[in-house]
Amino acid sequence: MTEVDALLQNIDYAAAVILFCIGLYVVVAKGNLIKKLLGLNIMETAVFAFIVTSGMVDGGHAPIVTEAATPPFASPLPHALVLTGIVVAVSITALALALIVEVYRRYGTIEADELRETD
Amino acid sequence: MKRALAAAAMVAVAVPMLVAVSALPRPGAPDGPVHTQVAARYLAAGAAETGAPNLVTGVLLGYRSFDTFGEVMIIFTALAAVMAALPATGADGAADRQPAGGGLPAIRVSPLVAFVVRFTSPFIAAFALWVILKGHLFPGGGFQGGAILGALGILLTIVLDRRRVWPLPAVARSRLLQAGGPLAFAVVALAGLWLTGYVLGYPADPALHAVRSLMMLLLEVGIGFGGGAIILALFLRLRGD
Amino acid sequence: MTPWLPLVVMAPLVGGALAPVIAIAGARLLRAWSLAVVAVTGLAALRLTLEVAATGPFSYPLGGFKRPIGIELRFDEFSAAILFMTLIGGLALTYAGRYAIRGLPAGGQPWFQALMLINLGGMAGFAVTGDLFNLFVFMEVVSVSSYALVALGDPRMAPLAAFRYLLAGAASSVLILFSIGILYALTGSLNMADVASRLDVEADGMPAILALAGLLTGFLLKAALFPLHTWLPDAHASAPSPVSAVLSALVVKLGILGLLRSWQIFAGAGWAPLGELLAWGGAVSIVAGAGFALFQQDLKRLLAYSTVSNIGYIVMGLGIASQQAVMGASLHVLNHALIKSTLFLAAGALIHQTGCRTLYELRGAGRAMPATSLALTVGVISVVGLPPTAGFPGKWYIALGALDAGRPVFAVVAAAGGLLAFAYYMRVLNALYFWPPTHERVLGVREAPVSMLVPVLLLALCCLAAGVFARLPMAFLEPAVSRLVGM
Repeated sequence: MTEVDALLQNIDYAAAVILFCIGLYVVVAKGNLIKKLLGLNIMETAVFAFIVTSGMVDGGHAPIVTEAATPPFASPLPHALVLTGIVVAVSITALALALIVEVYRRYGTIEADELRETD
Repeated sequence: MKRALAAAAMVAVAVPMLVAVSALPRPGAPDGPVHTQVAARYLAAGAAETGAPNLVTGVLLGYRSFDTFGEVMIIFTALAAVMAALPATGADGAADRQPAGGGLPAIRVSPLVAFVVRFTSPFIAAFALWVILKGHLFPGGGFQGGAILGALGILLTIVLDRRRVWPLPAVARSRLLQAGGPLAFAVVALAGLWLTGYVLGYPADPALHAVRSLMMLLLEVGIGFGGGAIILALFLRLRGD
Repeated sequence: MTPWLPLVVMAPLVGGALAPVIAIAGARLLRAWSLAVVAVTGLAALRLTLEVAATGPFSYPLGGFKRPIGIELRFDEFSAAILFMTLIGGLALTYAGRYAIRGLPAGGQPWFQALMLINLGGMAGFAVTGDLFNLFVFMEVVSVSSYALVALGDPRMAPLAAFRYLLAGAASSVLILFSIGILYALTGSLNMADVASRLDVEADGMPAILALAGLLTGFLLKAALFPLHTWLPDAHASAPSPVSAVLSALVVKLGILGLLRSWQIFAGAGWAPLGELLAWGGAVSIVAGAGFALFQQDLKRLLAYSTVSNIGYIVMGLGIASQQAVMGASLHVLNHALIKSTLFLAAGALIHQTGCRTLYELRGAGRAMPATSLALTVGVISVVGLPPTAGFPGKWYIALGALDAGRPVFAVVAAAGGLLAFAYYMRVLNALYFWPPTHERVLGVREAPVSMLVPVLLLALCCLAAGVFARLPMAFLEPAVSRLVGM
């Protein structure tokens, strides 16, 4: 199996990696603090997508085990992890937005370049 | 220039990562380690061991309830952070701050929007309750229901005038309710210790299944209502109330 | 199965969540409540430490679910060390709680206390968990509360410093979560011991290496090793001084503990070349941190850069990976916590009383505030690494370990770092004692109030004691270090 075949087989993981790097690019390259925060959120989403992907199974159903449901079921663990992760991400976003509000009140700008000049 | 450099760096990061993930077990393969290790046990015994046919809830509140406890603490921390770091910009605080000014310009809401919101809000509230209470059977649970409740609270405080929604901010600011999630976990942890000898344990005895359901319900309610209150309180503080 | 292990985590966290409720009944009750919570946690920690000294590491299956099904708490000597120094910080802070009131907005005090307790509980959780994802969750509890605590500092720069800290911290957390996800996809398990036994770095190849790289980068960013330190000086310098003490003394150490946990997971497989990398990274960090510190005018920024330098010592010790070097690194984790909290609390008292931050403005303050300056001097002697103070044994064993492993270059770096530290800390003592006051506020300044002085002097005393009685922590850490090195 060539490298390309291997990559195509794991194309879902590859998508998560590319999304992760896009988020990282936004964090590094953009000057606006809100855009940086959005980049961070993209990175987080990428990781959540990666973890949820690892739990899926061919032809699987949601892991709700009742009489009506038939196996195979997706693994419930990644879903639980991502649910936790989302709540963490929301909390960080709330705090970051509050800090951006404070920065704007204090300096009147949220552009990283202009903030550096006021230092 | 800076952007080109950053883009080049990202490509340099992405290539080894892509090579690495392509060597992972294929997602979806039924014989992958993700499905044959712990998950197999959850699928086989989860519903019986935790009493929750929805295994995601079973994992969240049963097998990995300590994670969920940490998660509840993180939302609470976000609230504490915003409350401590962001001064309330009431009538006096707003004046000395230069650019942004305090609070937001008053939103003029069309009567149609107000009517639709008022008409649908009982249904949204009922749906939120359903999601919180039935999380062990259907997709849903405390966090999801709490998010709906919090969103509903935000919607109502934006759309309706202050006199009509006065109980909402008061409820959201109730510190006991905000600490609801951690409190519920403390109670369930102690109950588990008493009943099973393990912190956060659930009694396996069929005679005590009602107690087990009650413990899970307490967690869901604590997480849901506490989370909803925190979301609304965060919004109110960010808005400058 | 004693429930002490979950108690040590849950008590401060639930106690923190209840702090705002208690505060409704009055500020006095709030302070009593915080002290009581720290005391309960301390008793539980003491009980656990005695047990681990007697019987070795032990576990607690939460909810009765055995590993790897449920979350397992695992208590070893390193957990005990982290827990113990966490408590020193917690106690000093509840004691010095009055200090931070000034900068807070009205009604902020209960939330500040809540954040402090949650920060403490998060560190306890991070130290005792045996589960990878649980590690991430508690890391986030610590991180989110730390970002918030930084934001409460000097309003001229704190919000921006806190935001930059948040961005760096959250990015490293995401990286760590990514690595945990890869490990999960490879092994299907999250329990650290279980992952370690299932992971085969040879067979798993690139993904395992990527996970290791992600964990290392993430934890080294949290530990602020040069050149990943850029967020630290601003954050630690602009936070309120008690918070700076906690951040510099304790929170950065979580990165080190994370490094140790990664080592335990990837034991044997590919640690040797990595050790080389860590040792050099640590060596560069020692020199670079000290180099930056030489040119700082702001007292707290100087202390912050000194943390970068000292983290370099610890990472270098872990990288050399001989018995003595790892022992030295573990000792220095503990002792640096003592020293840095002494230094930051003493510096905080100086800044609080005089209102001046720079060395130039603080000239002559040593004579006006003799007790605080004495504590600061003890801290300075310790951090330079002169015997018989707390800084000596750690650096001594790291240097010995370097010679032992046939790497004299690292011993030379350790000694050079000590000399550089001597140089930049001499500037502090020089300003305090050997210059006449330049600032009118220093002329009329009074000694710090007793509530600030007592914890500072106690910590300074601990710095001396930790140097004199270094055998005690060494004997305690010995089995853990041997296990780690022998892996």
